[in-house]
Amino acid sequence: MNKFFSKKLSIISFILIPIIFLWHPSWLGFLGVQPYWPLFWLLPWSMMKGSINGLIFGLFLGLILDSLTLDDSFTQIPGLIFCGFLFGRIKLHSDILLGHFRYGLICSFGSFLCGTLYFLQILFINFSDSNYLMLIPSVKNILAEVFLTGFFAPFICSQLLRMFKFSRRKL
Amino acid sequence: MLDIRRISTNRWRHKKKNWILFAIFLFLVFVRISKGSFYKDFYYFISKPFWPGQFQKEIVLESIDQEYLIKLTLLKKDNLRLRRNLSLQESSSSNENISAAVISRKTGSWWRQIILNKGSKDGVEIGNIVIGPGGLLGRVKNTSLFTSSVTLITSPESKLGVWVDRIQINGLMVGLGDDYPSLILYSKDADIKVGDFVSSSPASTLLPPNVPIGIVQSIDETLKSKKTAKISLLAKPQVIDWVQIVKVNI
Repeated sequence: MNKFFSKKLSIISFILIPIIFLWHPSWLGFLGVQPYWPLFWLLPWSMMKGSINGLIFGLFLGLILDSLTLDDSFTQIPGLIFCGFLFGRIKLHSDILLGHFRYGLICSFGSFLCGTLYFLQILFINFSDSNYLMLIPSVKNILAEVFLTGFFAPFICSQLLRMFKFSRRKL
Repeated sequence: MLDIRRISTNRWRHKKKNWILFAIFLFLVFVRISKGSFYKDFYYFISKPFWPGQFQKEIVLESIDQEYLIKLTLLKKDNLRLRRNLSLQESSSSNENISAAVISRKTGSWWRQIILNKGSKDGVEIGNIVIGPGGLLGRVKNTSLFTSSVTLITSPESKLGVWVDRIQINGLMVGLGDDYPSLILYSKDADIKVGDFVSSSPASTLLPPNVPIGIVQSIDETLKSKKTAKISLLAKPQVIDWVQIVKVNI
């Protein structure tokens, strides 16, 4: 049983992402905003498996998360695909401490990218003169998400990366 | 000959891994098309032990009493107006309510939605409205067997016709992705004031009339052709655990 779990750890953690996305723990939030959970999984996965794998699993994550949100007109797929591809090009760093901070910065950048792409879709689809009303709340949402994602990434990404490495070694 | 065989075995379709990835992709497309029903039903079962307790109902009932007082005054006024103007359509009085608990809540960021523990099995239908203690929360956008997903009125996708009772004017309320939706009045002369009460419009095709929504918090008059106002909602989706699903026959 233990062997099964250690082998399938990456898949189990992948399945957990939509559950956390739905759970939306408010005590982890800042200004009502949550960190962008899929990036925490996508970064270590893409760093280990490469760009193409990152791109494919970015698409998979986007498909699942889109199915859980009610906004039919907007999608998270472009942001996640782009992040998956981008993260795959980043190499592991030998300095552990520096690596930790790097995860924070990379995830913050990814979250900014995904948030901006999502906001641009909202702007494009609801193109009207009431758009300016959305500007301030949207910038607040993006910045809060960037901060939280960057804050939690060093803890979660390094743990996930360690676990993925461990499960690969067992294989 | 040997070279040809080697090329043919290296083709992508001969790799088992590619077929597995393709199968996963097809499965996820199915999940996407079914709007995640499978995931939501799975979440229904695993979150069951953590649902809000029964004591919440008492708090909810107290708030509902207050809400009903406001509603009653509005309904009396509305009834009088309708009697004077018989050309208006009468709203149905046989609304059927379903009580439901909130099992997932996304009230921050872009995605403003709640998931309830009642689904198509309990008779919830797409388009039903959801009311919490205080007033309107949103509309049911999607149902699975055990759950229903509600788009909150704070969501950027939400656009509703509303009624400002004091000045007797219709307006459009749009969600902006924060806790305060915006009311747009397409008349520069509208005498809207801070503290005005906003309810659903009698002319709305989506909502029954006179469902309490919120109170005007601040007014922006910088635009030339229209006025906008920030609305503070009476029902707070970020704290409500029990809601009523109302079947509407408009």
